[in-house]
Amino acid sequence: MFTTNPFTPLTTFVSPEVMQGYIVLLMLAVLIGTGFDLLHDGKARFFLQDRQRARAAANRPIGSMDLAAIAAKTLVTDIATFGEFCNRSRRISHVLMFYGFVLYLITTLVMVFGYPSEPHPPMLLPLLWNVGVLLALIGGYWFFFLLRVNVVHDGQPPWRLVRADLFIVTLLGSLTFALLFEWAAMLGSATATKVFAGLYLLFTTLLCVSVPWSKFAHMFYKPVVAFQKRLEEADGSSSLPTPTAPRGERCPHSHT
Amino acid sequence: MPTFTYMTRCDGCGECVDICPSDIMHIDSIYRRSYNIEPNFCWECYSCVKACPQHAIDVRGYADFAPLGHSVRVLREEASGTISWKIRYRDGREKAFTFPIRTTPWGSIKPPAEYAAPDAAALSSPLLAHEPAVLKVDALPTLPSPLEGEGSGERGTNKAATP
Repeated sequence: MFTTNPFTPLTTFVSPEVMQGYIVLLMLAVLIGTGFDLLHDGKARFFLQDRQRARAAANRPIGSMDLAAIAAKTLVTDIATFGEFCNRSRRISHVLMFYGFVLYLITTLVMVFGYPSEPHPPMLLPLLWNVGVLLALIGGYWFFFLLRVNVVHDGQPPWRLVRADLFIVTLLGSLTFALLFEWAAMLGSATATKVFAGLYLLFTTLLCVSVPWSKFAHMFYKPVVAFQKRLEEADGSSSLPTPTAPRGERCPHSHT
Repeated sequence: MPTFTYMTRCDGCGECVDICPSDIMHIDSIYRRSYNIEPNFCWECYSCVKACPQHAIDVRGYADFAPLGHSVRVLREEASGTISWKIRYRDGREKAFTFPIRTTPWGSIKPPAEYAAPDAAALSSPLLAHEPAVLKVDALPTLPSPLEGEGSGERGTNKAATP
């Protein structure tokens, strides 16, 4: 249990080549969607203009070593541990979702491209796939029902969905039906396997083709903004006052 | 001088929604970022600007006294108890100020929840809840009622007991 390739049952419906082609198409959809999102409402232009403004206002030179240190700090603090969030619960839920999704994505790619029709790949792969899905689902459902800002601060009920929920809903749908599809296949129910496989593919397709309308691309934008913010603090172009505390105070205790 | 949000910096935490005394900072339904739903009703209290942990909210000055190119940014640091301002003029000059957030110790002010709830009779009093005791005075001066002030022309003193 949980040690067999979850994608092997799919090979009874489609060939491994089709599965691989489908994944390539989904990745292309994410790339094209992100590019479209960057261009059509001027995000790329805004980023470049802001960078030019910051360069013009800079009063301290930044060397390549400083740049590397800023990049490393951004990687460790803002990307790997989601240091941007001051609210502890939001931060933990994003960490769970991010690492869960990355684990799920990598193991999916390895199993679909490396062991497409092999029911028993190295045991670690399906195990990590399940761990990834579960982590992302725990973080995702926690965020969806308890932490979404319109639920907590605007007092809206959790089932009220708006366009901003497109990403989280399709992500949760995709991962939930992935797990149900795996369980149905393990239990040997052909009908349930077909139904859940169909829903899994539907939500996964929606997740990837809805990038221009969803918040999918914020995973790519946030690190860029975090890097730019740290760079502005370092080169003196930031319009914010200099912190009085020696290392600044990123999160007031009342917000954690 | 209404507030606006830098969408790329906002992480949609909702601190501004909670603190806005006009209830005009809301979360938009497309990107789940904060925005000012009614700039005309913003009284520029800077509460959201100071509360935003991402420094994603700024105030746009009216062009007649705050020409384009200036900036007024604020940084509130709870740990050191300071609030700092940086003013950048359009000609490049900069001024920086730092003040204590408050002049009394943290926790020394009794929060509203710790006061006894006023009874319904207080609704007919001209005083606000817990006045005058909360203002640390014995009585508040008020305009005399027509009967009380007749002939004397003096200002009355409201000695209504507060609940």
